[in-house]
Amino acid sequence: MALGAGWLAFPRVLYRSRPEPVNFSHKIHADKAGAKCEDCHSFRDDGTFAGMPAIDKCAVCHAAPMGTTAAEKNFIDDYVTPNREPQWAAYARQPENVSFSHAAHVKRAKMACETCHGNTGTSDNLRPYQIDRISGYSRDIWKTPGTPHGMKMADCVSCHRQKGLEHSCLDCHK
Amino acid sequence: MTSANKQIRAARYGMTIDVDRCNGCGACMVACSVENNVPPAHEGATDRKGLTWIRVYKVDNGEEYPDRRTAFVPVMCQHCGNETPCVHVCPQQAVDIDPATGVVGEMPQRCLGCRYCMAACPYHARYFNWWDPAWPAGMEKTLNPGVTPRMRGVVEKCNLCHGRWHAAKEAAAAAGKPDTEPVDYIPACAEACPTGAIHFGDLNDPASPVAMEAARAESFRLLEKLNTQPKIYYRSKKDWVREIAAAPQPGARKEKVHA
Amino acid sequence: MKTNRREILMFAGGSAVGVLFTPAPWRLITDTALWSENWPGIPAPARGEIRARFTNCSLCTAGCAVRARCVGDQPVQLSGVSGHPLSHGALCPFGIVGHQLPYLPARVKEGPVKEAAAAVADGIAKCGLTEYVAMLDPRPARTASWTYRRAMAALKNGRYVAPSSDTSIAVDLSKARTVLSFGVPVLDGWGTPGNVNVARAGFRLIQVEPVESRTASMADRWLRVRPGSEDALAQALAGQISHAAAADAAGLTVPEIAALAQELEQNGPVLVLGSSRLASTAGAVVARRETPAPEEWKKAAPAADLASLPDRSVRVLLIDESAPGGYLPWNAIEKKLVADNPVVVVFACSREGYARHANYVLPVGVYPEVAEDIPPAIDSVAATFRIAAPLVSAPAGMVRPEAFVAAAAGLAIGDTLRERADAIHKAGRGTLFTYADAKSQALKDVSADNFWKALNAGGCWIDEPDSKPSAARLTTVASETRPAEESELPLAVVLTHELTPGSPLLSKVYRESNLRLAPGRVALNPSCGLDEDALAVFETLLGKCRVGVTLDAAIPPGVVQVSGSPALMDLCAAGARAKVVRV
Repeated sequence: MALGAGWLAFPRVLYRSRPEPVNFSHKIHADKAGAKCEDCHSFRDDGTFAGMPAIDKCAVCHAAPMGTTAAEKNFIDDYVTPNREPQWAAYARQPENVSFSHAAHVKRAKMACETCHGNTGTSDNLRPYQIDRISGYSRDIWKTPGTPHGMKMADCVSCHRQKGLEHSCLDCHK
Repeated sequence: MTSANKQIRAARYGMTIDVDRCNGCGACMVACSVENNVPPAHEGATDRKGLTWIRVYKVDNGEEYPDRRTAFVPVMCQHCGNETPCVHVCPQQAVDIDPATGVVGEMPQRCLGCRYCMAACPYHARYFNWWDPAWPAGMEKTLNPGVTPRMRGVVEKCNLCHGRWHAAKEAAAAAGKPDTEPVDYIPACAEACPTGAIHFGDLNDPASPVAMEAARAESFRLLEKLNTQPKIYYRSKKDWVREIAAAPQPGARKEKVHA
Repeated sequence: MKTNRREILMFAGGSAVGVLFTPAPWRLITDTALWSENWPGIPAPARGEIRARFTNCSLCTAGCAVRARCVGDQPVQLSGVSGHPLSHGALCPFGIVGHQLPYLPARVKEGPVKEAAAAVADGIAKCGLTEYVAMLDPRPARTASWTYRRAMAALKNGRYVAPSSDTSIAVDLSKARTVLSFGVPVLDGWGTPGNVNVARAGFRLIQVEPVESRTASMADRWLRVRPGSEDALAQALAGQISHAAAADAAGLTVPEIAALAQELEQNGPVLVLGSSRLASTAGAVVARRETPAPEEWKKAAPAADLASLPDRSVRVLLIDESAPGGYLPWNAIEKKLVADNPVVVVFACSREGYARHANYVLPVGVYPEVAEDIPPAIDSVAATFRIAAPLVSAPAGMVRPEAFVAAAAGLAIGDTLRERADAIHKAGRGTLFTYADAKSQALKDVSADNFWKALNAGGCWIDEPDSKPSAARLTTVASETRPAEESELPLAVVLTHELTPGSPLLSKVYRESNLRLAPGRVALNPSCGLDEDALAVFETLLGKCRVGVTLDAAIPPGVVQVSGSPALMDLCAAGARAKVVRV
């Protein structure tokens, strides 16, 4: 019974779920708009990563409805027209004491986005954001078995150790 | 932890501080606090309980006017290279010395607040958060995203503006530079010093101005006899400043007793 | 099934062992550790795109160029602009934390604007034939100062009062071979710090003062004189009294004074600061053209000295304390006010200054919220024009002193900064230095619109130098030394100045170290009998107030070093004597 509680019930209790504000479909945008990851999730000139695109990126195409879905109309009314940023919950949002550099992983190590973010780019909808009630962290980056998808330090360290890149704590902490 | 690591050209980031140029203005102290999200003094803070990752001390040669001479010496973590005292004593391994940069890095998130490292540090360069940080309403908008604010109960100290080092590494990665090379950046105190007394650079790079200045005869380090091999070099043409830095035994210097 | 205690215990034991094989307890431990690292109530810095924006610091007339590192549009860190021809990339400790001023806890956030305007109108109407409306401007030669002068000229009995500071002359540090400073903090907050550093190697600095300041410790020679005797020494060097008399007063020896006189003679050009008894060598002081202004403005009231106003003649007094400058002690001002219900309106962000004596305190924006120009610094040989371009917006309800005063005088004004910039552009002289690219170009090659844009995005205009040496003497009320007053009080007062108000982060230098003496504190020799940090009462002939005490063995007995907050400066006339007693 304890095993059952530990393995089944505990994860349900430990995480609190929250849906994303807009049910964005990566698949539609990748297929129909021909967008690649870096079209919306780009690097700035100084090498920092822009993260979630701001509403003006969406407004470039969606200033007027492009399709006929109610979801798109709601999105335009709620966010594009009033120029309001959706409060996205980034699955991979690092806690305050971590300094993560996309430039080092994407440009230098030439890692594919899928390695950490799984098949987010081909997903049709955004799964709910699961937040750990105690620590406040996201549950995982994207649950793809075999990839370092967890949010614990050990998940990042396992790959770093393999590549021989473990110099010092302050490499990743700030 | 480092045995299987990639080969890199290791840097030894250090500084030369020209004591003769320092006018004791304190610009370095406030610039450091701005960069590293060090909060303003709590009500109960004094000069023994404050948070000053870099602190400028006023020293004098012990003589009376007209032979009295005064100097100002900025002191921050000296980033000891040999048998780093704080690294040795920490029960939590919350501080380590980075073989790639020579920086002695403190992780306040791992610290449990025993303050053993503060006792071990011969330079009194470590500071304890006696209170939770508090900024006046609205001033938290001016916090630097490159550095984490700490909670009470942990020790913190200078880490040669590692937030700026991260930004420089990121810019180097984006520009396609190889990660085997050390990056070029400048800590807040060196950038802020209006008289240019603080110089920062890679001591391992013989061509860097800091390495060349550190090698000169008038450069010295604090408490050299302890053989901690600090990376902060001081320069002064005044012999009495070198004497103070060497901290001779009482009575070894001609001392005048004054009230 | 009847359960007995043994079965319950077995079940509990089995569960305990079983649960260890699940992730639950391990997860709880690690998550609790993570929870303990992210303590609630610790603010998280905002994330966003890092941008650079530029402005000029308006905390003093150095007007150093500022590069602001911003997260989005919010400045989080300020530094100098390297390569700048005037400030050379330097920024003083006050400028470095200038971006935190908008969040000062004790900031004046609101005030009775309508009532103040009504009271001013009423006062103007009630003015008798020999009564005046006075505008006190602690930082003259700004564009706003022109508006005040025009407004006072528009009133039949308006008077514009400014501390005497002649902007038609400047100091040329590059020409001076010797600088003789009577207590002026040359190396620590005078002129333009970056410019002083660059010129430092070219002159020998002789600092004359009773207590060793930071400047004195860095000077080539420090002459320790008795407080109040600086004037006697200056008189001796000017040949007005004998060396022996000066030596007596100052506590120096006759050969020392003779040697000093000889040095000044042989190592000119000499720049004299802090005493108008001695003339600087022409060349060290140069004539400087005024920054151009629109012709229509020239019908403005001239700047008057406070002393020129008759006592008890000012019915309405307006003080613009939004730009800190020379502080005139209140007793000098108070005696000019009429005895029956004068109206005193103060525009300030802090209640520590003239606001203590005001009928109406009106809130103003602070640096870096308001667009304001900075007059040229004393050590800038050419005229300059630079705008402290706003980096953040001021809160609602702030008053623009310029607009208030103009309205009170019935003067219609437009965008005065733009009009000034256009007048400078029309004059066609000088260069424009832009900060983003660190480039200089002739003003002639820039259109008026682009000139205005550049000034607001981080730039400065520098005139061609006049290159005419001037024999004028430098006088500023604040730095003139006076003989000691005659009184029974035991301590001689030595004033130091810190820029106020300042960010709470300055506690690093005031409280968390003993590097600088905080405003409102006094420093005494340990022989005074008081304890460190004691609360004491500081008393002079002009009154008393509470102070905190710092003990410093470097202060000679019989001297009290006072860090001038406005409340303390009100009590310390030049040459003041004081006593400090335990509360």
